[in-house]
Amino acid sequence: MRTSDLSAPMTAAGIAAAVAAGRLTATAAVETALAQIAALDPAVNAFTDVTAARARARAAAIDARLAAGETPGPLAGVPFAVKNLFDVEGLPTRAGAKINRERAPAERDGALVRRLEAAGAVLVGALNMGEYAYDFTGENAHDGPSRNPHDRERMSGGSSGGSGAALAAGMVPLTLGSDTNGSIRVPSAFCGTFGLKPTFGRLSRAGSYPFVASFDHLGPLARSVVDLGLAYDAMQGEDPDDPWQTPRPAEPVAGTLARGAASLRIAVAGGYFARGGEPDCFAAVRLAAEALGATRSVEIPEAARARAAAYVITASEAAGLHLDRLRVRPADYDPAVRDRLIAGTTIPAAWVHRAQRFRRWYRERVLALFDEVDVILAPCTPCRAPRIGQATIELDGVTVPARPNIGVFTQPISFIGLPVAAVPVRVGEGLPLAVQVIAAPWREDLALRVAASLEAAGVGAAQVAG
Amino acid sequence: MTIPPPSPTPALPLDDATAGAVVDAMIPLVGIPMAPEWRETVIANVKATAAAARLVLDFPLDDAVEPAPVFRA
Repeated sequence: MRTSDLSAPMTAAGIAAAVAAGRLTATAAVETALAQIAALDPAVNAFTDVTAARARARAAAIDARLAAGETPGPLAGVPFAVKNLFDVEGLPTRAGAKINRERAPAERDGALVRRLEAAGAVLVGALNMGEYAYDFTGENAHDGPSRNPHDRERMSGGSSGGSGAALAAGMVPLTLGSDTNGSIRVPSAFCGTFGLKPTFGRLSRAGSYPFVASFDHLGPLARSVVDLGLAYDAMQGEDPDDPWQTPRPAEPVAGTLARGAASLRIAVAGGYFARGGEPDCFAAVRLAAEALGATRSVEIPEAARARAAAYVITASEAAGLHLDRLRVRPADYDPAVRDRLIAGTTIPAAWVHRAQRFRRWYRERVLALFDEVDVILAPCTPCRAPRIGQATIELDGVTVPARPNIGVFTQPISFIGLPVAAVPVRVGEGLPLAVQVIAAPWREDLALRVAASLEAAGVGAAQVAG
Repeated sequence: MTIPPPSPTPALPLDDATAGAVVDAMIPLVGIPMAPEWRETVIANVKATAAAARLVLDFPLDDAVEPAPVFRA
């Protein structure tokens, strides 16, 4: 086979294996991705930049190395794309913003882009996102919304909307996103993809545009758990360019994913995580728990306050980051983002300090739960993808603003940096939903093992739009 | 020693008038040229943040509880 089948998108692992075996060239894999993008993206709007010339040159170089007998990397020939807050050499780092288009082009790729390419992957473009990552919708006033490939009138989820949409449309097998309060997990749920938000401080943030320093994470999205693991392993390792990264050696998950979940203590999050959403969101968690034989439940203490504290810190830190721009050109922001940022400048410092002290208290209480369990299951979102432009959602009979409330179940988890695998679970015939598989800090391996078990059981499965 | 917080925090959640007064006082201080038509949404966001803050402020914490971020020199 010299080209891949356009009707059945390949996984990253499938492409890398085929390239390594000489059954597929990197050039053919990249040309397939570029053709898919050209055919599908006009209707989905996942991409803001397609780096075709660079990708073709890179793929040709990989093929030349293979022809010379060199060993390809574990992601040889795998096309991937990144949320446009990652630095891409030669492009201004847009971060979804009109203002950022005036930045000088990045002089080098972001750290994680370099690491994926060092493993043989090939960057094919940059992806649409909510302005400055301050959304859960995938909407963008400047670039237009990235659309949910399963129903293009629906949200892709945010803020890594293009990262979920590009996968679910079958354009590329691997994308990168960022997750501050849920921005990898929400698009995974709405688009039906797997996603990994690693432990806070695990992966380098160098060469990416920030949002909230206290909570920003970067991570992969893919259509299989093996692909998540391949990308995650390739991106691990200390980076002196990221002062927030926790010094810690790489802990590869390769070879651990198929160990199964039978020996793990798995519980379902009750209380806060068992109410305030559409019934199918909780049905997805039940399906996952049944497949895993998980019968116990745990209460994550004070989750509502955790979400509230994350909300306060986010609003304040984001406002602080943007204050200079807000003072000189506020009209150039997406109005939905601008008014939240302006409001954030009024928050008393004492409130933020208190929220950071609560974060310490909450971390200690939640970590104590992991003395009793290895993994906790919770819903990813309180609803399926709303319509683009929909301002409100109804939760337990109460109408609430959509934009901040889509993340009610993700925020209390990223607040203390726990690793989470988002696992798409089909409930009925509707749009996708996902379950959060939550582990203790630095135990991405356990979250991914459980995700792989759900995938093997047929309960967790990425959905590609037909 | 833990000092019990006033419960509920009396000034929160903010009513429209108080939130408007906060915005009108603070925006000149931080120096943002806010257009009049943005004011209503900004006020709504200030109220939402205050409602969230109330949940945090009403939770008693011992003085020994340190803030979460750690700076490594």
